[in-house]
Amino acid sequence: MSWEMVCGLETHVELSTQTKIFCSCRVRFGGEPNTNCCPICVGHPGTLPKLNREVVRYAIMAGLVMNCEIRGDARMDRKNYVYPDLPKAYQISQYDKPLCEHGHVTLSSGREIGITRIHIEEDAGKLVHQGGNTFVDYNRGGVPLIEIVTEPDFRSASEIREYLEQLQLLMKSIGISDCKMQEGSLRCDVNLSVRPAGSKKLGTRAEIKNMNSFSFIEKAVDYEFHRQIDLIESGEKVVQETRRYNDGDNTTESMRSKEDAHDYRYFREPDLVAIVTTREEVEAIRALLPELPDTKLARYISSFGLSDADARLLVRYPKICEYFEAAARGLKNPKAVSNFILGQIFRTLETEEDKEAARISVSAEHLRELCSMMEAQGLRLNLAKAALDKMLETGEPAARFITKEDLEGVDEDALLAICRAAVEANPKVVSDYLGGKEKAVKSLIGQVMRETRGKADAVLAEELLIRCMREKA
Amino acid sequence: MITREEILDLAVLAKLFVSEEELDALTEEMSNIISFADTINNAGTEAEFDGINRLSNVFREDVPAPSYPQEEILRNAGGGEDGFFLVRRRG
Repeated sequence: MSWEMVCGLETHVELSTQTKIFCSCRVRFGGEPNTNCCPICVGHPGTLPKLNREVVRYAIMAGLVMNCEIRGDARMDRKNYVYPDLPKAYQISQYDKPLCEHGHVTLSSGREIGITRIHIEEDAGKLVHQGGNTFVDYNRGGVPLIEIVTEPDFRSASEIREYLEQLQLLMKSIGISDCKMQEGSLRCDVNLSVRPAGSKKLGTRAEIKNMNSFSFIEKAVDYEFHRQIDLIESGEKVVQETRRYNDGDNTTESMRSKEDAHDYRYFREPDLVAIVTTREEVEAIRALLPELPDTKLARYISSFGLSDADARLLVRYPKICEYFEAAARGLKNPKAVSNFILGQIFRTLETEEDKEAARISVSAEHLRELCSMMEAQGLRLNLAKAALDKMLETGEPAARFITKEDLEGVDEDALLAICRAAVEANPKVVSDYLGGKEKAVKSLIGQVMRETRGKADAVLAEELLIRCMREKA
Repeated sequence: MITREEILDLAVLAKLFVSEEELDALTEEMSNIISFADTINNAGTEAEFDGINRLSNVFREDVPAPSYPQEEILRNAGGGEDGFFLVRRRG
């Protein structure tokens, strides 16, 4: 029998607001334990939460780019559970009236993944288990999160990966999260079940937690898919439970049987009031959204003449895009700018983080100057490349490395004379060439370029060299 | 009507130990509480708890204020350990 995967995702995204969701403590990753804390986020009795306006706005932005409807009347709720990472013994979240509902994202195959809901909630503290004791750091407690819940629409691990990459890029593009998986600002739980291919009924699902990289998620999903098929085919049953992914041996193991929803005893958060959003407010937020990756991609291809592959590489990094557009402003050939960025400049950006932050030692203005010397003053590509290397090393402008002579180039008469001299001086090359070794001309071109310090037009030089050699025949 | 098993489930959730002797009394008391709540439900009010204070959109601006010093935060937890709150193993 062939089996089909039925999978849904719950993705937690930490919002990059200045402050926590219910108090004015700063949101900061790392740092000494319990130093970004106050009586509200460590849950002292008698304290009252006050909702950060920006968290609501960010969540609505996320909802809009994932094609959600925005609820006019959202509410906050208490989700009760007893565990030391939550000092109040409840998490303030949203239950039946989340901010955003009924959205979707479209995969490259054209398949739509339904977004059930996006709600806001507070993050929990961090636990360190050691020698049977538990050490708690509440710096992360109260950091604002959105939880994005999908319909069980995924049919393969690669669809999950594509969705998460899209989600990450969308969130970064609208600037609401840095989505760094290694720092836990994007975390994912997977709900997975299997059913006979073609069946409409849902099987019993298991939830997999503890995954903080795309490749872990892909591996865990593949492992869990086959584990469930093996269980069913050997006559056993899949148990509804929470499982943990172990990256060491690439398996999943049972953590605990799944609590039913009512065990959380959700009820309305009495310390917070309703969140009422009008249609006008939603439209005002929509109007301020930046250009989204798909639109940008299409524009780079159609108006800048970039290839699909090059445009995709740029669009992955919103800050690189800003740099690219600033450098290409007013130029006739933006493709040259993109070539410099994806080639020489990317080679100086060693880590993903360098690319994310666009840590480029040459300013966009300086790159534009260099490119306009090529467009307007006939600077040759090879000289421009050499200058860019020096600019990247020193951070200084192009003019510092390009002489007046470089811009002048070499006129055809002068070039012909140099070519003729090269032909005279190399009878062996000439006879090779005339004897049918067409590649022999390359060594002469190299000589001519050295002679002219790279200022000559290599194509013209080749033409002239061939002409001179033919005269010898 | 509430059952003894439900009382035991609730006790587990509330982290309470309930003895056999307490169980019958608690089952009866909980049943009374729930039927009292049913009486209120049947009062047929239109008012929704959600809107009881008629307030909405009470927000704080996203402006940081200083956090508390670590010692201050840990003071009520016996000073913690190495800057952390310490939850000792039970038993």
